[in-house]
Parts: sequence; C-alpha cells; structure tokens
Amino acid sequence: MLHHLTVTAQHSPELLERVLRVMRHRGFSVQNMQMNLDSDNQQVELHVAVASERAIALLTAQLTKLIGVTAVSLTDRTAEPKLAVV
Amino acid sequence: MNGAHFVVKALQQQGVKQVFGYPGGAIMPVYDALYDCGVDHLLCRHEQGAAMAAIGYARSTGGVGVCIATSGPGATNLITGLADALLDSVPIVAITGQVASPLIGTDAFQEVDVLGMSLSCTKHSFMVQRAEDLGSVIAQAFEVARSGRPGPVLVDIPKDIQLAAVEHACITHSVSEPDAPELSDITAARELLGQAKKPLLYVGGGVTLAHAEAELRDFLAKTKMPSMTTLKGIGTIAPEQYAFLGMVGMHGTKAANFAVQEADLLVVAGARFDDRVTGKLDEFAVNAKVIHLDIDAAELGKLRKADVAIAADLKQVLPQLAMPLDIDDWQQHTIAMRQEYHWRYDHPGEAIYAPLLLKQLSDMAPKNTVVACDVGQHQMWVAQHIEFDSPHDHLSSSGLGTMGFGVPAAVGAQVARPHDTVIAVSGDGSFMMNVQELGTIKRRKLPVKILLIDNQRLGMVRQWQQLFFEGRYSETILTDNPDFVALAAAFDIPGETIVVKEQVQPALERMLNSKGAYILHVAISEEENVWPLVPPGAANDKMMEEC
Ligand SMILES: Cc1ncc(C[n+]2csc(CCOP(=O)(O)OP(=O)(O)O)c2C)c(N)n1
Repeated sequence: MLHHLTVTAQHSPELLERVLRVMRHRGFSVQNMQMNLDSDNQQVELHVAVASERAIALLTAQLTKLIGVTAVSLTDRTAEPKLAVV
Repeated sequence: MNGAHFVVKALQQQGVKQVFGYPGGAIMPVYDALYDCGVDHLLCRHEQGAAMAAIGYARSTGGVGVCIATSGPGATNLITGLADALLDSVPIVAITGQVASPLIGTDAFQEVDVLGMSLSCTKHSFMVQRAEDLGSVIAQAFEVARSGRPGPVLVDIPKDIQLAAVEHACITHSVSEPDAPELSDITAARELLGQAKKPLLYVGGGVTLAHAEAELRDFLAKTKMPSMTTLKGIGTIAPEQYAFLGMVGMHGTKAANFAVQEADLLVVAGARFDDRVTGKLDEFAVNAKVIHLDIDAAELGKLRKADVAIAADLKQVLPQLAMPLDIDDWQQHTIAMRQEYHWRYDHPGEAIYAPLLLKQLSDMAPKNTVVACDVGQHQMWVAQHIEFDSPHDHLSSSGLGTMGFGVPAAVGAQVARPHDTVIAVSGDGSFMMNVQELGTIKRRKLPVKILLIDNQRLGMVRQWQQLFFEGRYSETILTDNPDFVALAAAFDIPGETIVVKEQVQPALERMLNSKGAYILHVAISEEENVWPLVPPGAANDKMMEEC
C-alpha cells in the first residue's frame, strides 16, 4: 500500500533523521520525499510517500509522538499501487 | 557563571539532589561545577552502571534519575542503560559532554555522534548549540522525561558551551496536559463492562508511571474484577487482592494464563500486549473484547485491535470506569483456579530449591524491601515467588531484559531509599556483567544485600537449549566461575556460601540482619528450570510443565 503523508515540524538539525528512522524502523519504505523549510528556518514541511504492508495508522501514531512534530496528515492521494497485469 | 555551573544550577532547579556518573575530558567543566555545589554525585565504576543506578533511583522512587558521562566511550557506555529505560519507560536524564563545537565533525579525540546514536534509544535528545539555550533545554529534558509516557532523554553539551559565560535565569518548561477522555468512549467502555460475564483486568507498568496505583486499587475494590499483571505491573495490585491471579505470560501463573483465554472482556491498563505476555498473538484472549487504556496513543491498536481505545491519563480514566459488576460465577471460578494452581514448594532432596528460598525471603524480608533483579531464571523466580506491595519495590529489566541490571539498579535504589532494605538478586552470569559496581557499593558503604543464585550456567539459555536445541549446551557452562565470596571480600563485602536447604533460613537471617553490604552465594542445581513455560509460538494455555 502506498500512502502520502505530510509531516509538519519545528526545524532541528536532526529532524529528518528522526522522521526517517521511525519510518524505516516501523516497517515503511520511503518512495518519494520533498522537504521545505520556511523562510526563517523555523518550520519544516515534509511530503513523503511511504509503502508498507502495515496499517498507516501505526506509523502516523509513532510520528505524532516525536517531540517537535506538530502535525501529521494523510493526503487523499492514498491509493493501491498499480498492479501490472501479466 | 559558566555553562557548566549553569547546568548544575538547572539540575538543582529541577529538584535534583543525586546524580550518578563518571568523569572524562569533555565533561570536566561540569565535574568542576559539581565539586562543591551541593548536588551529590556518586561515582559508579562504568557508565552503564551509572545509567542503571539512575534507573534504579527513578524506579524505586517514581522520580527522575540523572546520569552523567563524558564524550565518546563514556557516552557509548551509557547506551544500554538508555535503551533499558526506553523499553521500560523510565524517566532518566543523561548528560554527556561533547567535543568543542568547532571540532564536531572532524573525528576529534573521543568524538562520536552521540545525538545520532541516541535517536533509537531515547524518547528525545538534544545537542545544545548555544550557551543561552542551556536553561530551556535542561528544563525541557526533564519535562519530556517525566510527562506522558516517561522515558530517557539525553542532553549532549559541547565543551565550549560548558565553558561559555551564561546569565543565570530561572527557566521552567511545561508541556500540555493530556486531553481528558471523551465521554462517548467512557460510555462505550462502561457498556462493555456492564455486558461482560468474564471480564479480566490486565495491568502493566503504565499504571505506576501514571501514579495511578490508588485509582487502580479503587477500581478493583468497586468492580471486584479478576486481575493479572505483567512483569512490570507486579506490586501494583496487592498480593491478597480478591481474585488476583498473578503474572500472565511466558512464565506466568497457570491461573492467569487460563483465565485470559476464557475471558470475554480484557481491560488493559497501561500495558502493551508484549510478546512475552501474549504468547501467540492471534490466539491470545480470542474470546475477549478489549478496552485499552494508555497515555500513549501509539500503543492502542498496535498489536491488538481494541473495541474501545482511550488515550488518556489512567488517573483520570480509571475512576470513570469503576462500577460494580455482576460477575459472581466468574469471580468464584477464577478464585478456584487461583487456589488450584497455587505454587508448590515441596521439592525432594537436600539441594537448595530457589523458588522455596525466594518464598522464604519474601516471608522474612522487612516491609518496603526493594528487590532489584538481574536477568534469567532467577528473575522469573523472583517475579513468581516474592510478593510485592508496591511496584517501586520490584526493579526488573523487563522490556530489554538487560543482564547486569541488578547490582547497579540496587545501588540507585539504596541511595534513594537509605532506610529500606535493598536486595540485588542475581545469577552467576548476570553478576559478572556489572561486577565492577561492587566498587560503588564499597565507596559509599551502601548496605546492599546481594543474593547470588549460582547454577554455574547461563541458566535461562541452558533451559532453552535443553528444551528446544536438543541439549546442545553451547557456551552456557560456567563451571569456571570465580570464587564469588572472595571476589566480594576484595570489596570489603562479607558473605558466605550455602549449598543445602537447612542452611537457607539462618543464612537469610544473617544477610537481612547485616548492617552493611552482604553477599549470600547460593549454590543450586544446574538442572532446575523455570515452570510453567509457554513455549515460543504457542498460545498461553499451552504451557509446558515439569515432567
Ligand atoms: C546483556 C545480555 N546478554 C545476553 C542476554 C541473554 N540471556 C538472557 S538470560 C541469560 C542467562 C543468564 O544467566 P544468569 O545470570 O546466570 O541467570 P540464570 O538464568 O542462570 O538464573 C542470557 C545469556 C541478556 N538477556 N542480556
């Protein structure tokens, strides 16, 4: 299953590592990612597509717990990956 | 004032009176500040010992423990302690020195990326980048460590920041209170409670972390619901509580493991469906609906779907669910199971039987005795055969199962509770993992009692080799152990060895009555196993027993 997530957080040098570590450790593989830092380097917005067999709620609950993460939302592009018909 | 003095002041502002640690180059300014500041520092003999002493201090009091180490090897030595605290949700704050800011990233002497290493073994971590941030970082570290689901927090402080000039300011930090439970969830939970014919309370360490022991006991008094605990929940429920069935899981009681399979409703309070508790997860409590109560929303539905899941402070939720229940038959049934499957201590022969010895100790030890365990068979025997009135009295490395935990955790507990008896129950394997902490006991003249249960084996692994690896005893035979009594004597700790049953009672008396530290070295048969045992991959009611 592929899921598109938006993670908003206070910026810190290791923020990206924290978020990516949780994704890997909880069994989600990053397919695509974009990070934007606001103009005064305070706030980060991450758009990430992750794939996993596991329920996405397991990941969002863990990400929400990270200190500094202010919001985690699922965007409605969530869809089954296209299957090739053989 | 420099940054290091400021750090010590900030600790004092948090009410810290005791810290555990080990000095080194990158943390020297902090040690200089500690020299005459009034905060008591206990030098442990390894940073792992310092971290576990901080855990023992925190767990035996319900407060926050503090440990301090230098950069590089000092910090890496803390890691196992941090992981232990993370898995058992223990609030500790670890302060590490770091090489000076301009040297970070140059592979300087004793430089490791401690922040990077901390990501997977702390609840949160900080590297202080500006001296003016020190106050808010330390305040936040304590708040994060103790709020919500508690856990370890690391603060890494470069040496130049410890030496920089800082203005003293009083800084506190507060985190938002958890949301109150939704009324609709409470109503739904009460409905399930009202319908249940066979409800069972499953209590984990979270109840104590929420300081909700009184609310839990009140809940039990009102509902009279049969109950069981996890390893970390031990002590939360009074042993004599009506229809209390003991510990559930791999080495749990038969009564708890059978009851959970029969239950039609599980009320899960501050527990997380750990695999050592559930056995085969999809065969765990198959007939039961679930009400799951935990401050950590990420635990709800993580392993078992809940019919009602409430992420809230247990102190608030439990009183709202306390209601009389109409479950007489089930109560009687579980009480009958408790009676039928009580522990038996008859054991043939002269050799010392560890479960009986621990039962004797339980009967003889003064009230409020703290027992800190190591890991292995002896740890499970402690959980099974010693009765605890408070979870703060049973210190057992539960989530990480860290050998070497017992002695340093006992050190921390004894420092925190100087007037209570503190006993480290260890195995001959585990004892050697942090044996250097005998030096800490000597240094502070701590009256820690050590009960060393010696089977000349890595017993728990040996048991699995016997049962599941065709008796191929690979690297678990410790017949070359040192003379433990002589080893302790080298640290001015007196003691004795006992080998037969009739020596047990007087030896326990001597140990308990000794004014200072004492080691009671108990030789037991290597063939003794822990029973019952839910084998790996089996459901909880498929327990193996002694044949
Ligand atoms: C640091 C660490 N290494 C390895 C293990 C795996 N392990 C679990 S129990 C055990 C044996 C413990 O032996 P001992 O302390 O003598 O206790 P016993 O089981 O004999 O009572 C081992 C090696 C562990 N839990 N922790």
